[in-house]
Amino acid sequence: MRAGLFTAPTVSAAQRREQVTLLVFLIVVWGATAALSPRFLSVSNLRDILIQAAPLGFVALGQMLVIIARGLDLSVASMMATVAVLTLGLADNAQMIIVIGLSAGLAFGAVNGYLVAYRHVTPFLATLASMIVLQGIRFAYTKGAPSGSLPEALRHLATGSIGGVPVAIIVLLAVAAAAHYLLEHSRFGMQLKLFGDNPRAAHRCGYHNRRLLLAVYCLSGLLAALGGLTLVGYVGIVDNWTGRGYELDSIAAAVIGGAALSGGKGTVVGVLLATLLLISLFNMVVIIGLAIEFQLVIKGLLIVLAAAVYRRHLR
Amino acid sequence: MNAALGLANSAADACADSWVRALRLQPSHAVIVALTVVIALIGATASENFATLHNLANIQAQMVALGILALAQTVVILSGNIDLSFAGALGVLSVLFAALAGDTGLSLTVAVAVTLITGALIGALNGYVTAVWKVHSLIVTLGVSTMCAGAALLVTKTPAGAVPLFFEDLAYYRIGFVPLGMVLAAGLYAAVGGMLWRTRFGLRVYALGDDARAAAISGVNTRTTEVQVFALSGVLCAVAAIYITARFGIGDPRAGVGYDLRSITPVIVGGTLLAGGYGGVLGTALAVGLLATLASMLNFISVSSFYQWIVEGVIILAAVIVFARRGRV
Repeated sequence: MRAGLFTAPTVSAAQRREQVTLLVFLIVVWGATAALSPRFLSVSNLRDILIQAAPLGFVALGQMLVIIARGLDLSVASMMATVAVLTLGLADNAQMIIVIGLSAGLAFGAVNGYLVAYRHVTPFLATLASMIVLQGIRFAYTKGAPSGSLPEALRHLATGSIGGVPVAIIVLLAVAAAAHYLLEHSRFGMQLKLFGDNPRAAHRCGYHNRRLLLAVYCLSGLLAALGGLTLVGYVGIVDNWTGRGYELDSIAAAVIGGAALSGGKGTVVGVLLATLLLISLFNMVVIIGLAIEFQLVIKGLLIVLAAAVYRRHLR
Repeated sequence: MNAALGLANSAADACADSWVRALRLQPSHAVIVALTVVIALIGATASENFATLHNLANIQAQMVALGILALAQTVVILSGNIDLSFAGALGVLSVLFAALAGDTGLSLTVAVAVTLITGALIGALNGYVTAVWKVHSLIVTLGVSTMCAGAALLVTKTPAGAVPLFFEDLAYYRIGFVPLGMVLAAGLYAAVGGMLWRTRFGLRVYALGDDARAAAISGVNTRTTEVQVFALSGVLCAVAAIYITARFGIGDPRAGVGYDLRSITPVIVGGTLLAGGYGGVLGTALAVGLLATLASMLNFISVSSFYQWIVEGVIILAAVIVFARRGRV
């Protein structure tokens, strides 16, 4: 029997259990919030949660690929904002914006990939440096405050819907399906996981680790650009700090979704569930009327606990 | 005769070598000093106000908070970990200190002591979760930082509390052209440098960072060491928080924003390996000086801070690529 697109033979039983746990946790959170506030299950609120999950979902998927490859991408938020600022100044129709934005993200990612793969710079430092440099370029380009207005089509990408389903979620699911295929059913995915588990073994198998790393960071840049465009489309305003905090939130989503910083581990389904869980918790804090700062406390607690729980699994 | 000469030579070598080792001198340190001198010369030619004692004092004042945090980061990185908790911890400690020192009627000594102990506890929590739960320190400190930031903002969203006026004056006090804060930072560098050089703790930190498994097999209690390293980092973070609060005159829940990543730059530029086990506090001190001199020079030739970010990023990359070429990063 041929394995279908969504039955993943390469996902281990332990990872399945993690995903089920996340799903149960998500349902508990939803149930509790719905019990506390009837507003939670309203269509408009659920729609909001989905739309807010989209940008983080894109970025977190890219972050997960990098983490599987034993890396870390601290520059995602900076790439999001830089892409948003650049496209605002350079293009006025949606196709151009998307093309320019995605190519810019790809280019930024390629710089990270070049530094990591070909100059042997630690991923943490390479992406830290490019985060700071992009920040400088962005502020110098906008002279402190970006100006210009968002084209309607970009707004549509983020807030519109087709048959009741938000466009952003359709795009996210399509990208996630592609990422899932890439990770679980393609040679690239096998090579990536092997590299994450044991780079030397991957080298001995004759794989081109450098090209692989370059591709991974390019993908992270591309997804960060997509996340940035979706986010500005949703917020409606371009800012030099668009996406601030997404570097840490995306790492959180990837780790809660089961990716290990030691590399080789991570699933698309897990990351999507973790993203939805994070956004649902943020929504819960707002909707049951807690101080918004509880979002930070919950997020911090969740990151540490999730990482600790997954460590226990391994032993 | 030759043998005696050789012996004398090797004795001299050993003597010189011990100095090099104690200070953890690296060839790159000469480059940092040279760059600092060049930058200072450019500044001096660009503006007559650059090479003044007043500006020298200003540059030093800029160095204190970042210097203390970079010192903490150096020890953590030497042990093979990383501490991203400053962003949140600094805010919570600043709010705590200003609240205690403000109008509670407590003596300043108590306020300082409580802040330092809280800092140590936050650090120990980082260390405990890292060492005992075996979670990557990056994740742990990130989570703790986020929780601290949330806690600080729950207490107050705007700067609050106060610091006794004489304490605020103390933070701005200068002995000649040397700010008191600089004396404090230099003292801390000497103390921590001495600890790394002369104590068993220092030896354990380097052993742990070099090869955690080998250290454990050789009888190093890696758990205790990690908790101690993070607790030390937490105490230093508290010192920085007290200094910053005294300078502001008020407790700011956002005082630490950006310091988590900014504290890493001088450590890396100073030649300490991110992987741990190699480097020292002298390089960090020199790099803090270089960055502060550079920022001052760029301000004097009116380069906007936007370009200063680009310069900072390029410096990190340049340092890392140079070290990577020598196979050290």
